[in-house]
Amino acid sequence: MASLTPTEPAVTTEEHAFEPRPYANPYLAGIGLGLVLLSAFVFMGRGLGASGAFNSTIAWLLSLVAPGYAASNEFLARYLDVPGHPLKAWLVFEVLGVFAGAVLSGVLAKRMSRTVEKGPRASVTLRLGFAFLGGFLMAFGAALGRGCTSGQALTGGAILNAGSWIFMMCFFGGAYGAAWFVRRQWR
Amino acid sequence: MNAPLYKFGAFGDETSLVVAFVIGIGFGWFLERAGFGNARKLMAQFYLTDMAVFKVMFTAVVTAMLGVTYLAWAGWLDLSLVYYVPTFWVTAIVGGLLMGVGFVIGGYCPGTSVVSMATGRLDGLVYVGGFTAGTLGFALGYPAFRDLLAMGDLGVLTLPEVTGVSWGIVAFAVVLMAVGGFAGATWVERWMTAKADPAARAD
Amino acid sequence: MYGWLCKLGLNRTLGLLAILLGAGALFAQVEPDRTVTVHEAALLTAHARGEDHVAPRELAGWIVEGRADYRLIDLRDETAFGEYHVPTAENVPLTSLPEYGLLRNEKIVLYADGDLPAAQAWLLLRGRGYRGVYTLRGGLDAWKDQVLFPEMPESPSPEEQARFEKAAHVAKLFGGQPRAAATGGEAQLLDMSALQAATPAVSAPSLPAAGGSRARNRPREGC
Repeated sequence: MASLTPTEPAVTTEEHAFEPRPYANPYLAGIGLGLVLLSAFVFMGRGLGASGAFNSTIAWLLSLVAPGYAASNEFLARYLDVPGHPLKAWLVFEVLGVFAGAVLSGVLAKRMSRTVEKGPRASVTLRLGFAFLGGFLMAFGAALGRGCTSGQALTGGAILNAGSWIFMMCFFGGAYGAAWFVRRQWR
Repeated sequence: MNAPLYKFGAFGDETSLVVAFVIGIGFGWFLERAGFGNARKLMAQFYLTDMAVFKVMFTAVVTAMLGVTYLAWAGWLDLSLVYYVPTFWVTAIVGGLLMGVGFVIGGYCPGTSVVSMATGRLDGLVYVGGFTAGTLGFALGYPAFRDLLAMGDLGVLTLPEVTGVSWGIVAFAVVLMAVGGFAGATWVERWMTAKADPAARAD
Repeated sequence: MYGWLCKLGLNRTLGLLAILLGAGALFAQVEPDRTVTVHEAALLTAHARGEDHVAPRELAGWIVEGRADYRLIDLRDETAFGEYHVPTAENVPLTSLPEYGLLRNEKIVLYADGDLPAAQAWLLLRGRGYRGVYTLRGGLDAWKDQVLFPEMPESPSPEEQARFEKAAHVAKLFGGQPRAAATGGEAQLLDMSALQAATPAVSAPSLPAAGGSRARNRPREGC
């Protein structure tokens, strides 16, 4: 029962709460993911990631607009101080692959959908506003934590990196702690 | 076999980018298969009705961990050549908490946001925009964070090193925790779903 | 058994499999232990093919070229290292070698005054699974003899002359001095302190600092 909101006629919204969808068995998906991660260790001696690709991209974009500043920015300089093009970074290509793999799976499972995922009590505007805010906050979280869930929790978790396990536990703690406060967005 | 292959010169930098792309495809595929391109599926974890996030994440960790353990034991994988993010316990806590809070606000993490955007979700796209803006914001405000980032530097540190217990014991403990957690998670799912809506389809 | 697993269901079977593999992992040894395993055939082949050493002139070439893909290890004590060491060398006395933190995929060149400590270190590292390990053939003595103070051959042919001139040029880069054949025997007594004074020339921009391979831009590996 999709409803059309007046401001965004081209977008439909799913109003059902946590309806089971025909997704894969989580354990099988997890094994698949684990094997992908293992292959990264075996082939490259590193794990997966995502936030690093954003860092490289921002560094490169900034270098186009303000090259002097970009090169002197302590955080971004290391993404520019590389032998080749800043976008020829391992994570950038990995994230492009993530996009491709997601499209592949989504198309084959007929799960491609121009929609906004949100709970029944939230408006599209609220959801989109929060999506932006959440992304913004997590960029800081990832930069401070030196990784995101794929880099720290998954990768570091698998190789028993102490810092990663601390990160992982705080991640779940923070999420569960804040969930009640934003329940209106989802339930 | 000499793994990590790249570090023993099996292939060069250009090829490693192709490897990155292919590995990324696998990563994106399984994330989408698990339903992680959908914020509602991800968020259900934190309202206890669908524990897929926990199940997928820890199954992946256990799988890769056992793989690394056996390959290193067989002498095929040189663990000393695998990259470890150094442990900075202060930012591990601060960053982790911030990521968790941001997760339930934003609905995605950077990896899953790409999956979401790729499968057409507008909120995924907006999240990516927010994350990008945040990255820029952090870069611009970097001097303010410099001290925080340097705190609690413990260097490269593994759980076996911290606990003084062998790798194998830690690995076994992780497996037991995960399997026990899965059983508990499934029980919680059933209980919550039945409680919330007795007429709903069981998982 | 299959029937029983079927009855158990996929998820429970996976769980059981995980526990079994986890139990197996209890006995895993992921850090290489302290034993040195000697593979006869591998060692003898390396020797036969001359893959176990690097000539001083070759090393000099690497340093001049500014190559950063090797690690040069000086196995002597601190004092000796302080008096003179080959540029780009890192001082790691033999006794501290195992803990030093050399990676198995690095190219490592070992030297001491003579050949013996380097040969011992070579065996130690090869036995712990290191692949690209080499001794500096002839040690520091050969380095002084061939690179720092190359000897002019008596009545040289044009090629020998050309080679000597090249060697003389390299010698000067390292603060050394070519010598005529007649004074060959006195090479060892040459005043090394004069070389110390010349050392600043050796750390000229064309010659990289020690541990050059680490300074090279490694691709980022974090998240």
